[in-house]
Amino acid sequence: MVARALRFALVAALLLCAPALQAKQTVKLVFIGPLTGGVSANGLGGRNSADLAVKMRNADAKARYQYELVSLDDECKPNIGVQVATKAATDRNIVAGITHYCSTVAMATVDVYHKFGLPVVVWGAVLPDVTYAQDYKEIHRVNGTMINQNETAAKFMVAHGYKRWAIIHDTTDYGKGHNKYFTEYVTKNGGTIVGTFGVTADQQDFSAELTKIKDLKPEVLYFGGTTPLGVRIRTQMDKLGVKAVFQGTSGIVSDAYVEGLGKQAEGTVAFREGAPIEKLPGGKQFMQQYAAQKYNDPPEAYGAFAFAAANLVMDTIERVGPDRRKLRNALNATRDYQSVVGTITFDDHRQNAVPLITKLVVQDGKWIVWEDSDFAKGKRKLVAP
Amino acid sequence: MDAGLLGQYVFNGLMLGIIYAMVAVGFTLFFGVLDVIKFSHGDVLMVGAFVGLMTYLGLSGLGVTSGALLTVCAMFAAMLAMGVLGALMARWLVLPLRNAPAINVLLITLMAGTVLRELIRLFYPAGANPKPFPRLLPTDAISIGTLTLRYDNLILLAVGVGAIVAVHLLVTRTKLGLAIRAVAQDSETARIMGMNFQMVVLVTFALGSALAALAGVTAGLYYNEINFSMGLLLGVIGFSAAVVGGLGNLYGAILGGFLFAALQTLGAVWFSVPAYKDVFAFALVILLMAWRPTGLIAEKAAERV
Amino acid sequence: MSRDKPASILPALLLLLSAGIYAFLFLHAEQQWEVAVLAILGVAAILSAGRLGISGQVERSWRCSPVLLGWLAMIVAAALIYLLREDHFSLLMVATLLLYAMVCLGLNVQFGYAGVVNFAGAAFFGIGGYTAAMLAGHTATPHLLILAIAGLLSGLIGSLLVLPLLRTRGHYAALITIAFAILFRTFLEVNDLLGGPQGLKVPGISLLGWNFNDNIEIDDETQFSFYLAYALFSLVLFALAFLLVRRLERSWLGLSLDAVRIDETAASVFGFNVARWKILAFSLGNVLAGVAGAVYAMMTGFVAPASFTIAESLIFVSIIILGGVGNPIGILPAAALVVILPEKLQFIQEYRYLLFSAFVILILLFKPGGLLPRPLRRYFAHWGKA
Repeated sequence: MVARALRFALVAALLLCAPALQAKQTVKLVFIGPLTGGVSANGLGGRNSADLAVKMRNADAKARYQYELVSLDDECKPNIGVQVATKAATDRNIVAGITHYCSTVAMATVDVYHKFGLPVVVWGAVLPDVTYAQDYKEIHRVNGTMINQNETAAKFMVAHGYKRWAIIHDTTDYGKGHNKYFTEYVTKNGGTIVGTFGVTADQQDFSAELTKIKDLKPEVLYFGGTTPLGVRIRTQMDKLGVKAVFQGTSGIVSDAYVEGLGKQAEGTVAFREGAPIEKLPGGKQFMQQYAAQKYNDPPEAYGAFAFAAANLVMDTIERVGPDRRKLRNALNATRDYQSVVGTITFDDHRQNAVPLITKLVVQDGKWIVWEDSDFAKGKRKLVAP
Repeated sequence: MDAGLLGQYVFNGLMLGIIYAMVAVGFTLFFGVLDVIKFSHGDVLMVGAFVGLMTYLGLSGLGVTSGALLTVCAMFAAMLAMGVLGALMARWLVLPLRNAPAINVLLITLMAGTVLRELIRLFYPAGANPKPFPRLLPTDAISIGTLTLRYDNLILLAVGVGAIVAVHLLVTRTKLGLAIRAVAQDSETARIMGMNFQMVVLVTFALGSALAALAGVTAGLYYNEINFSMGLLLGVIGFSAAVVGGLGNLYGAILGGFLFAALQTLGAVWFSVPAYKDVFAFALVILLMAWRPTGLIAEKAAERV
Repeated sequence: MSRDKPASILPALLLLLSAGIYAFLFLHAEQQWEVAVLAILGVAAILSAGRLGISGQVERSWRCSPVLLGWLAMIVAAALIYLLREDHFSLLMVATLLLYAMVCLGLNVQFGYAGVVNFAGAAFFGIGGYTAAMLAGHTATPHLLILAIAGLLSGLIGSLLVLPLLRTRGHYAALITIAFAILFRTFLEVNDLLGGPQGLKVPGISLLGWNFNDNIEIDDETQFSFYLAYALFSLVLFALAFLLVRRLERSWLGLSLDAVRIDETAASVFGFNVARWKILAFSLGNVLAGVAGAVYAMMTGFVAPASFTIAESLIFVSIIILGGVGNPIGILPAAALVVILPEKLQFIQEYRYLLFSAFVILILLFKPGGLLPRPLRRYFAHWGKA
């Protein structure tokens, strides 16, 4: 009788203690991206993807830690980015960051992360300088850089018979970087640049530049910049009667671009590193689970990279624990990590190599891979060369 | 540079100029009547554009598809709403501070402008993003050589000119206009003569704000895009234009608007980096103010010490 | 006027202590409701102090021994900073507060004393910042000298605006400073030499071989935040600026500025050289803004055109209106409200521009003097003791 009571008490005690024993330590991660402003679609898509990764991880009973994602808005402005980065980096509870879509912001904040020793993984900024201009061990990047993008773009367009380009780029490092690499590759492949125009990132009126461009008669108008400007330039191109192919970079590959233009978006060409989500190894599953969470915004072009970055960080924390320095060293050593975007290996500058460049074109209000489109099959024509 | 290209530049300048002129006329009206600079004018323009957008969304949601009808409704709704807003702002923000130092009125209107801007940014769905404005006007064009004149731009230009001419006629040929001019000249005597000072002020503000709303919808139709911060720059440019032309002078405001547009277009053409055009235009404004402190068409009375 | 017994030093001491404790609690509060309660208490205290005549008492008691109390104030502030020594973010906020307050002191001289409206405060703040960026980043100029040069350059560029400013009045003068603010930002954005829209990195301050940006390590366990040095440095600068402005106000220079502000025509009739006083006030204000800007840039390590827009200028203007135009003491609580409150109250972070603008509108409508209106100038020693 006493023994039975004792056994009962012991089991009851164990059961009561079990939740306490199972209570996991909470680890805080920070997500920083443009949640408001012209490119917020990409920022929100990235945030939702990172959030998805964290939710999925928390639902996994085998995880050692409970994760909490703090999301901060950098508004795609370098000064705001520095402010929120400082806020995150000075918070000793935050162990790692999944940061930045806008290259200008990423460039400005690298010093902050280094100063405070916060390891971060970049998910969307494509300017090479972010990882290559300095040797900060805290900065990692899972998406590719704009060098490959522009090289493929130049070769592709020249191969399709285009010879004359006019370039409009925004005057941030992002736009200037695109201008630099594209000009280099186009001239190397035999094309000519008839004019280059730098515009501010929030410029409204392009009638002056476009009038000059019309006079120069290019076959292609290359735009190095982000969606809001792309929408404006494309609209005003039509208004002023500039007839050329509109070619953009990963900056305009977003649903916001086609929404903003409607029918006028038809025939815009752009290039982006990484395969489209459906063709990625874990892509379909990612899309299904993303849809199941019923977010208000789609993952957009870089959501999968944010998802991969978040998982990489969490997997590494599971291995070495929530210590900034240990985490940083472990992340530096990432080799052949299998993720939704493929294999991630960091080189000596902690940059992942993403050799595949997808060529995209807008058809019937959506971005489609070039090879699948009617344009490639000859059924429709871009503005004729 | 061939004639067609030149013509294109001139036409671009005209389009910009008419929008600036509409804003400048509003500033000049307010100043004439109450000696106030309503810095929130640019943001009233922006709210007017958003009201136009909302009208469009509402009506097309109800099934209206005619471009002309949508345009007219959007314009009228915007003008009506902003007229009311302008009158409200006059009643509650400007009139109470009539006897306070002029700086206070300036500050309160600046802050009111910020309030309007932030309200739209925070409470309109995804307000911080630029919003596409529908293409409601016919988009065919006439080509004269290398000059392309699109119908929608021509219509907008006509609407703008018409509005300014209408305001001019209102102010010079009607009784209301007479009352406005009387109050502008000497409000005390006007009151002694039996005019309803408050009513005239409210009507003037309503009129100026309605004009701003029209400018906002025009800008929206021209650029096919509106965003919450468009009012700031347009407001400052409109103000500069009004000042350059001489505050209180309707013709001066129109002149100032076109002059500013011309400066911007010239700047864009001359400089190899067209982005310098704003720097150029504003620097010139500062220089102009140094040379002619009360504007090109000077105020009749000037205090100089 | 009757002379009653000399006031005791007690009220002022109490004020200092309570302000210090309040500040510490406020900066340490983590929970949102704590912060909200403290904020409401603070504002209520200031408003009621005016009503109940407490501010008059405190002022009289301060005048008993202003030097001693001044030093005590510095010690309380330094103690506060020391207590926060390991908290990066709080120290950053304190330093930002002090630097913003310094800019507002400058704006106060321009607007509160001389009546020269300046909507380009952030532009002059930015000139200081960019000077620091260029000089510290590219040359080996000693950093104290850089601060001086930053201030001088701000004053100099400000003097470019002086000619148009002198010839205009009221709205036109406002337009000139607004045009300059926009011009400044646009110019920086399109100009590659100064970094363009990307901005410039700025090295930290190093004085006499000690680099402020190094974390101060006492031993392996404790590590003081490097912001400690910046906070103390800003405190010293702010105190110097405050002293300067106070002295200015009470000297014949201040009298002349007030005369020019109140009625230019009358002042010129009495022989005041209106132009000279306006130039003095405008340049001095800009010098203060420039020095503060240089320190701020070196502390945050980064300058970009987007940090110095007209919205920031309006924030500075809001601070001086909220605090009471012409009253340098009101600047600190107003700046605390504008700078620190949004950081602490997360949920108003997004709405902060809206709230401040609405606040200023309410103040302008109902209490144009601000939270701590400028007291009447004591032309004679026995005024104010009755």
